[in-house]
Amino acid sequence: MKLVRTIVRAFKFALQNFWRNIWLSIATILVFVLTLTMINLLIVVHVLTQTAVQQVEDRIDVSVYFKRGTSEPTILEAREYLLGLSQVRSAQYVSSEEAYTRFTQRHRNDSSIINALSTIESNPFGGSLVIQARAPEDFEFILEALNNPQFGDAIEQKDFEDHERIIARIRSVTDRVQWFALGVGAVFLVIAVLIVFNAIRIAIYTHREEIGIMKLVGASNSFIRLPFLLESLIFSLVSTLIMAAILLPALQVLDPQLSAFFGTASIGLTEYVFSNGFLVFGGQFIVLAALSVLSASVAMSRYLHV
Amino acid sequence: MLYLNEQEHTTAKKKHQDMIKLHRVHKEYHPNITALCGIDLHVEPGEFVSIVGQSGTGKTTLAKLLIAEERPTRGRIVIGGWDITDIHASQIPFLRRQIGVVFQDFKLLRQKTVGENIAFALEVAGEPRQRIRDVVPQVVRVVGLHGKEDRYPNQISGGEQQRVVIARALVHRPKVLIADEPTGNLDAITAHEIVDLLRKINDFGTTVVLVTHDKDVVNRLKRRVVTLKNGCIHTDHKVGKYVLA
Repeated sequence: MKLVRTIVRAFKFALQNFWRNIWLSIATILVFVLTLTMINLLIVVHVLTQTAVQQVEDRIDVSVYFKRGTSEPTILEAREYLLGLSQVRSAQYVSSEEAYTRFTQRHRNDSSIINALSTIESNPFGGSLVIQARAPEDFEFILEALNNPQFGDAIEQKDFEDHERIIARIRSVTDRVQWFALGVGAVFLVIAVLIVFNAIRIAIYTHREEIGIMKLVGASNSFIRLPFLLESLIFSLVSTLIMAAILLPALQVLDPQLSAFFGTASIGLTEYVFSNGFLVFGGQFIVLAALSVLSASVAMSRYLHV
Repeated sequence: MLYLNEQEHTTAKKKHQDMIKLHRVHKEYHPNITALCGIDLHVEPGEFVSIVGQSGTGKTTLAKLLIAEERPTRGRIVIGGWDITDIHASQIPFLRRQIGVVFQDFKLLRQKTVGENIAFALEVAGEPRQRIRDVVPQVVRVVGLHGKEDRYPNQISGGEQQRVVIARALVHRPKVLIADEPTGNLDAITAHEIVDLLRKINDFGTTVVLVTHDKDVVNRLKRRVVTLKNGCIHTDHKVGKYVLA
């Protein structure tokens, strides 16, 4: 009971410290919020990178065109063979008729192509397979596997674009963005720690008379220290709450636009943050609180002689 | 405890009777700056002792040693049977709750009312709210500040401010009250009122150590007077007067 009383009273003193140095408190919280912004930007960039890479990976396929006259069972046999490979995610069969229909549909507004096609009496397209791999690096193996003598001779063309380079480029750009955000975040974190140090130092200075009286009338050392530690926790808590109040609406606005950009139903950022809010913001609060308590402790050991 | 003979028993009994005991206490700030040189002082429970002497004779150093604000270079200090010579920092708050301290410069919190300043000593010690509500009005009445609980320090006189400090020192019901120049900032009439209050507190059984260089105050008291000179006890009279050392 006495412990609870002591904590409640120390919390009251901590709030008094907070209000009496309100401008310093605001400055500290501002830097904390900027630090958290950088950290959250890092998280968002990471999610967007993953989404972008996934989008590109989903679109990578290799089209295998079979010679005209290759029978459907041969192509389906090749499809079955490919599906049996662990590296193949899907293999879609496109018949020669379907290929013809798709071509005419695609070029329906280009009369010259349609006219040229009509001059050919028979369907010029052969059957094809559209193959998707589980990972971009699997394509090399798949292309090699297509040289199987059972149907290798029936293949007219393999259409494969080197998507690995595109993915590598996306990763390179986003890695740089992440490193930049990480660097700026680290700088803000150092500034935040120094500001907390200074805030506690000033709080000790402005309360030196009160601290002296506390010592005189028998306040324990821990009771004198506790308000300063609680004050640093208040800084962390208020900053995290402000960050949450900024980030959640911002994500709700951004998410549909990002989803439209990536052409997906939802990036899932908002859902992720809402469903893991305690983890996301709790984790940020714990890191911030640990750093600020450490900083406050160093300031107290230097300036609070109890 | 087993005593070998009557004399040892008497000595041991006397040891326990001493509220304050200083045994060959030295305090040196630097090898060539000696504040106190081998002080031997015994104060019995309920005594009223005035420590007098000119400025720089070690009066305030002695007061600081009694509240463990300073440590002796050599010697032993025992308060109420508790040897505080090498007191651990974590134990000092418990000592200070048993010793009331009054200073010349009041040390009141300007943004707190009279009542809040007095309650502050109990709040920081973690006392329950109900006990604070009970104790504060009692000590306010003892020091004669009834009706002024809601005033701020700048709304009351210097004498009243010193009464607030005394009230704050009394809330823990201390065994010893140490007053270091409590009348230093007060006019003669108010100073006498404060000394009367200290005498009243002493009558309740609290041991009072008054550190002062106010001749009128000491002579009016007609109690024990210990005179310091160059950090040493020059005279110690049971019923003494202020004599320039």
